[in-house]
Amino acid sequence: MPIVETKGLTRVYGEGSNAVTALDAVDLAVEPGEFVAVMGPSGCGKSTLLNLIGGLDAPTSGSVVIDGRDIAHMSEAEVTALRRRRIGFVFQFFNLIPVLDAAENVALPLVLDGVKAAEAKATAIEWLARVGLQDLAGRKPDELSGGQQQRVAIARALVTDPALILADEPTGNLDSRSSDDIARLLKEVSVTWGRAILMVTHDPRIAAHADRIVFMRDGRVVDDTRIAGAQEARDAMEKVGLL
Amino acid sequence: MTVRHALLGILSQRPGHGYELHEAFEALAGGRALWDVKPAQVYTTLARLVDAGLVKRTASPGDGGPARHVHEITDAGRAEFVAWLGEGVHAEHHRDEFFLKLVLALTTGAADPVGLIKTQRTTLYRDLHELTARRAELVRSGDLAHELLLDKAIMHTEADLRWLEMAEARLGDMVECPLSASPPKRRGRPPGREEHEAPAGEAAGNNKGASSIKESDPCRS
Repeated sequence: MPIVETKGLTRVYGEGSNAVTALDAVDLAVEPGEFVAVMGPSGCGKSTLLNLIGGLDAPTSGSVVIDGRDIAHMSEAEVTALRRRRIGFVFQFFNLIPVLDAAENVALPLVLDGVKAAEAKATAIEWLARVGLQDLAGRKPDELSGGQQQRVAIARALVTDPALILADEPTGNLDSRSSDDIARLLKEVSVTWGRAILMVTHDPRIAAHADRIVFMRDGRVVDDTRIAGAQEARDAMEKVGLL
Repeated sequence: MTVRHALLGILSQRPGHGYELHEAFEALAGGRALWDVKPAQVYTTLARLVDAGLVKRTASPGDGGPARHVHEITDAGRAEFVAWLGEGVHAEHHRDEFFLKLVLALTTGAADPVGLIKTQRTTLYRDLHELTARRAELVRSGDLAHELLLDKAIMHTEADLRWLEMAEARLGDMVECPLSASPPKRRGRPPGREEHEAPAGEAAGNNKGASSIKESDPCRS
């Protein structure tokens, strides 16, 4: 079963003659452990797609099904819980809280979910170690490089053990070397930890780390192609128990 | 010519058997996955280098088996190698197989050009995926020279993808005039040089004429 599936997903902004169709009947399914890049020119609907899947915006028509459940049929509290536990977000500008250190930033989603502070921090430090930042847990965001801040953000996205990571231009604010590091880390997130990743990017070199690329234009999917070797895809699926 | 000169470069460091030279070429070029040169090509090239007097071949006694040949560079070979190092290398990106396919698809109607572009984009992204994965391995092993080689391959693949995007955006225009710049078919003896090449002044005049063509004509923009 796909971790996320959209059916006829449509988002229209404005009304009447001012109506703009940002997303036009998009059907897309992402399997567990799959790393999918979404590419296309500015205004093609990539970010709208991510926002709708993440429950940050509501569709005009069509549906978003996560774990087999249509989020349109959930209460706001259920959507919030789903967003907190099943989906991790990674943004272009990291969105870390400046007054909290790396471990506290990573622990935050757990604390908000009612986990005790000490337990949340211990889990946070485990995830910081997995993204290679075990020695920097006590640093504030302004004491970290851009690449390190994005690693903290990825650890924060993973700390609630989500099945799906939504990443919107995760390397858009990084130099090319840090971008490559972050793309490799996302690849590891999908291969080693079996999480599905849906990543919006305009950078072909970053998209090339994915298993599959979805190309969008004018709110529609115009091409959807698998670029990773068949063996690599099989290994990823085996890891998450699909084979 | 590249394999020939690379073999001279390898031999300028030490003499070697054909097998060793094939191995050394592969190591230099970044492995079989990056540049697959068959042993037969190395042996043929070595034979030509011997014929040209750039390499000397002597038989070395084997351990009871057939005699093996040791190759050694000559002074002429060394001079040829150094001269080759000093020459610039043309990139020749304009000799492009995909371009030929795209234009021929447009002119013959034998394939859908949009489908061709999609297939090519997938091919290039698969290449880019492999190149970035391979590069990551080289970064881990500290092989800086071949990491730089892969950076070059990655950059060219990115440029090809950008070009593909541009070609896709202008496909509609190309449908209207896919080969508008092709010369008319000539018969008989090829024309003389003076007939073929316009003098500089005349060419400038032609450009002025071209600028008067309305901009909306996709074939002239």
